[in-house]
Amino acid sequence: MSESAAEAAGRAGGRRLAGADRPGTAAVARLLHRAETVAYWLAVAPLAARLPARTAYRAACLRGDLQFRYEVSKRSEIVSNLRCVLGDGVGPQEAERLAREVFRLASCEVIDVMRLRGRARSLRKLVEIRGAEHLDAALAAGKGAILCSAHFGSHHCAFSLLHTSGFPLTTIGRWYKDAPGLSFAERRFWDLVHTRRMLRHRQRPMIEPWPGQVQVALQAAAALHANEVVTICSDAASLDAGSNRTVEVSFLGRRARLVPGVVSLSRLTSAPVLMAFVHRSADYRHQVLEISPPVPMQGETAAAFGRCVTAMDAAIRADPSHWICWGKTDVLASLGLLPA
Amino acid sequence: MNMKELQGMLEMTQLEAVIKDHISREFVQDAALLPLANETPLLETGILDSLSLLSVMVFVRERFGIVVHDVDFVPEHFASVNAICAFICARTGETAARGTDHE
Repeated sequence: MSESAAEAAGRAGGRRLAGADRPGTAAVARLLHRAETVAYWLAVAPLAARLPARTAYRAACLRGDLQFRYEVSKRSEIVSNLRCVLGDGVGPQEAERLAREVFRLASCEVIDVMRLRGRARSLRKLVEIRGAEHLDAALAAGKGAILCSAHFGSHHCAFSLLHTSGFPLTTIGRWYKDAPGLSFAERRFWDLVHTRRMLRHRQRPMIEPWPGQVQVALQAAAALHANEVVTICSDAASLDAGSNRTVEVSFLGRRARLVPGVVSLSRLTSAPVLMAFVHRSADYRHQVLEISPPVPMQGETAAAFGRCVTAMDAAIRADPSHWICWGKTDVLASLGLLPA
Repeated sequence: MNMKELQGMLEMTQLEAVIKDHISREFVQDAALLPLANETPLLETGILDSLSLLSVMVFVRERFGIVVHDVDFVPEHFASVNAICAFICARTGETAARGTDHE
């Protein structure tokens, strides 16, 4: 999917709701949460997405507010992680406000997914693409282009819009439906409500970098060789424990360990790297996808990758609630942003 | 064995030596795997991972001037030194044949 609204919903399935402290009520709460997730993805969001945008996104925000209120454990986790990582810059009230935004944005993303139906016109008129000329110029050189982003905002839907705008696009990432630990029914569900909708707007199947998948770089290189666009989120932790492929970079005020695959891929294929981030406006329905000029790839790998990380860092600091990792303590720890 | 076959064998040996030297220098971290045999599985033994596989492909393309096609982006071509040599021979043969056609 990779990790986005679907994962946020899936992960929250195992968390406590308000007043669900006793084992019996915790099970009921979990069941209720799952039922709400299924109802929202299968019925509410598809219907809401057909309403005028103002109404649809207002409904999504309402759902986000309800989750913020009732998913106490998840909310506490987000607040705690925000304050721990961003430090003194985020006070208790600001952290609560950002946590509410996290829930709202995750719900809005589901509406985005639903508005991808057909040729995605109903979403396209809400998203402004800035910097498409940089992508055009990159592809004119014939080496393809790498769009580097983070798990930030409604990035998958924004990439889908780029594809429908005429840029043949393939994503390196992992579908949530393929995540370990999901039941067969859960996999089928996420495949139906999310993966299939996304894949309709991709040039090639998702390139999934699970451990042992040696063909990943070759698949990405094949897409670049065909002068296509490859997207990659560089804020993901390495799946290989103790991987020697990570480099230490300054990220959100800490020394984080990230995989500089984007730099290696660029150097090996001569494809330029452009940064891309999608920001949702205060009215929740309009978004801007901002594409940067090519990032210089000269110098040491860590230095070149550091430029990409600096851009991710700036985007997250500008709109912290857009980063979808705040509710994933394990991910933040594996990145080195929280104590293990 | 005629001269042409002998020359072909010598070229093959040189080709294997170039490939083995490059992989040994750049990617083999475990000295126990040296010297590399032609049949050593480069993927299963972990000598090559996803990015180093691509790196070998770039090396082969630049060193031997091979034109790669979409179908060439598969790990099987780089599974062992033998496989890489077979891939290079197939592609250089193709290029030579195309050159002859143009003449």
